[in-house]
Amino acid sequence: MPTNALGREIPEEVAGRTLRPYQGAFVTIPAGRRAGGPLKTIRPGADKVAPSLEEAIRRSGLRDGMTISFHHSFRDGDRLVLPVVDACARLGIGDLRLFPTALFPCHEPLVRYIQEGVLTRIEGSLNGPIGAFVSQGGKLKEPPILRSHGGRWRAVACGEVGIDVAFIAASEADPYGNANGINGPHACGPISFSVIDSWCADHVVVVTDHLVPYPAVPPTIEQGYVDQVVVVDQVGDPAGIVTGTLRVTRSPTQLKIADLAVRAVEAAGLVRNGMGFQAGAGGISLAAQEILARRMKATGVRAAFAIGGTTRYLVAMLNEGLVGTILDGQAFDEEAIVSHRTNPRHQPMTPGFYADYNSLGCATYLLDFAFLGGTEVDLEFNVNVNTHSDGQLLHGIGGHQDVASGAGVTVITLPTLRGRVPMIRDQVTTVTTPGEVIDLVVTERGIAVNPRRADLAADLRRAGLPVRTLAEMKEEAERLVGAGKKPLFGDEIVGVIQWRDGTVIDVVRKVEGWQ
Amino acid sequence: MRPTQEASAGTEDRSDALVRVRPAGRLTVSVRTRTGPMYEEHIASLVRQALRGYGVDGAHVEVGEEGAYDHVILARLEAALARSLGSEELFRSALPVVDRTPTSRSRLRRSRLYVPGGGARLLAFADSFGPDCLLLDLEDAVALPEKDSARFLVRRVLATMDFGRTELWVRINPLDAGGADDLALVVGSRPHGICLPKAEDPAQVLALADLLASLEEAYSVPWPLWIMPIIESPRGVLAAADIARAAERVACLAFGAEDYTREVGARRSWETLLWARSQLVASAKASGVQASDTVYPNVEDEEGLRDEAQRARDLGFDGKGVIHPLQIGIVHGAFAPSAEEVAWARGAVEAAVAAAKEGRGVVAYQGRMIDRPVLERAKRILAQVGEGSDAD
Repeated sequence: MPTNALGREIPEEVAGRTLRPYQGAFVTIPAGRRAGGPLKTIRPGADKVAPSLEEAIRRSGLRDGMTISFHHSFRDGDRLVLPVVDACARLGIGDLRLFPTALFPCHEPLVRYIQEGVLTRIEGSLNGPIGAFVSQGGKLKEPPILRSHGGRWRAVACGEVGIDVAFIAASEADPYGNANGINGPHACGPISFSVIDSWCADHVVVVTDHLVPYPAVPPTIEQGYVDQVVVVDQVGDPAGIVTGTLRVTRSPTQLKIADLAVRAVEAAGLVRNGMGFQAGAGGISLAAQEILARRMKATGVRAAFAIGGTTRYLVAMLNEGLVGTILDGQAFDEEAIVSHRTNPRHQPMTPGFYADYNSLGCATYLLDFAFLGGTEVDLEFNVNVNTHSDGQLLHGIGGHQDVASGAGVTVITLPTLRGRVPMIRDQVTTVTTPGEVIDLVVTERGIAVNPRRADLAADLRRAGLPVRTLAEMKEEAERLVGAGKKPLFGDEIVGVIQWRDGTVIDVVRKVEGWQ
Repeated sequence: MRPTQEASAGTEDRSDALVRVRPAGRLTVSVRTRTGPMYEEHIASLVRQALRGYGVDGAHVEVGEEGAYDHVILARLEAALARSLGSEELFRSALPVVDRTPTSRSRLRRSRLYVPGGGARLLAFADSFGPDCLLLDLEDAVALPEKDSARFLVRRVLATMDFGRTELWVRINPLDAGGADDLALVVGSRPHGICLPKAEDPAQVLALADLLASLEEAYSVPWPLWIMPIIESPRGVLAAADIARAAERVACLAFGAEDYTREVGARRSWETLLWARSQLVASAKASGVQASDTVYPNVEDEEGLRDEAQRARDLGFDGKGVIHPLQIGIVHGAFAPSAEEVAWARGAVEAAVAAAKEGRGVVAYQGRMIDRPVLERAKRILAQVGEGSDAD
């Protein structure tokens, strides 16, 4: 079987789709022109408001085999995906391809629709229960394709994925289709993930529970791209936006890792006026951000910008003047939603602005440093965020690839052991992000520096920081728990992991046993 | 041998294991692990091997683990077996212990981190915190019904985990309240020293020193364990000098302000504790041992900790207790030598080296004689800023 640049076996095609093997983080040169939706027009006096979701689906012309898309700004509080799929089932429409920006545990009932054949394909992150279900194999017509946030935007913008009907949940909309996520009783923050869907889908349905007289502002989704508007009782539950991981940790180990991570970027001279940074929403990354804020306050350093997902911790930095501007793809809590609505320095940002490989500017490319997590890392610095060491496909890529490939110094923070499972492996179960774009791995046992960053190793040693090798830390962890068995993978592919340029960095195979 | 009573030990908390032992005619082991097939067989064979090692040929053992390391599972197994047998005698034998080197009496002891000895969760990463001294606590941090189980856990943690340059201490219970049982299990795992709580009388120190001497011999421990009496009562403060001088093994006096304040009826502040601290430092220094200040209980208040640590240092303390790993860096910062001290230490060491080369016995630097304690102090200062030999 052919292998990609990382030595991963990638079949030439899967379910009739040709797979292009990953060649390197910045090797692909795009060709062709941007895609777009069909040209349409309407006359003055036209009415876009449909009486119900079901009627909107009927009017959209959705048929068997088509693709429907959604955003995930309500995260675990989403109330649109299930009602739409359910309405499709009632209308007798099946064999659909689901193309969300992400799925959450609340979407577990989709399992039934997969079993019933209403959904036969999924392209998008497979979090939690759906991932566990799909990992069993044999459930979908085609293995899911997972993309980063920037990768999904690219796939739509270049026509790799065609959307037949885009359903866009909006906390506020007007009857002409202008829509946003920042106003209304169930505001969720930016809904800019859906902007590309509105531009490129054949048909666009805005769904809201808060219809206001024209014009709804800001029009994140613009009237000119919207076919229909539907009013429902509740489009999403903002309480579901905050999930357990979005809190600063109290764990001494995680705090220690966070502390080391901040010391590392300080030692590298990156904590300075005018910097840009991003911290993920995991417990360690949030803690690192909070420690960073304290150091910045003590030393008078101001960041020019920070990239969200935004939590109250980042909002506090904006309000205290530690951060000049937040560029925000999604809100992770109520404070972020309010800040986005009220503070002009809290700017929404599309995934295209953030990280589209096929573009002339990515916000992530201007990051001086970033703190990211992972489920595993290997001796080549490759990072896995999609599967666990038991081979289960449980997480989406999020912005991991986008941030890692852009940031000047990408810091992966993770403990050497989760429970009794070692996180440093000889080879990661699945490569999500290649070692080529990872600079530091920080664990509670020390900091591993990618050998291609000898400059950083020197900086860290000079600052007295514990520079270790991944092999040493792996050995220390395994001494406490043993190496354990590894899953044996069969031939069936249950997931395709795209690199952000559209090539395939890895595939996830079904677990057949243990060795 | 076959256990006759059902017994269990451990918890279903994260990083822990619950091990249940039931009487049975043959040996059966069942394992429930969060990791599934990844570690199921590994854990079963670990447990079987340990049971065979202890000569148990009939028992049903159930292990439910929630991310427990191998040594935690073994410690819980041993505690359950001991409970079932009604005796710890079987386990009073040496375990294979990870490579560990002795420490010097005057080593750097800026921080002493307390970690509860009973809970597996905080111990899971205890080898990564990097204090100068780690205190595995069997006393105040462990509830009475778990005292036995905790000493099994500490015994295994000490034997298994590599703590690098950290000096390892066990705070035992008072000798007449379980402390002797603690020692009988943990000394074989080669900690560097024992913390004696509620020290009030030199006789307590002598009793501990005698016990240690016989256990060290029984376990072939290749170094004498240090003693750190914890002075935490008005009687203790008054007897501090005698306590410090009671045995050669005493390396450091530690102050425990919580109990002291309560017993005296004082309100805790720098001023109200100043006399006790001064008395403790003077007693220690007059006896040639180190002094370590009490813990700062408010983990959130970094400024308060920094301030108190600096004051303690100015008063003559060599270190301070900490209750959270993030307090370590702050305390080390407060106890860092000043630039003048570092310059002096460098000069003093250079002068001593030069004198040794020239075969001169008497060393003078800046007009002052550099005798051995002064030279050791200079070396310790340099070690603190990463110069010269290591922390020992």
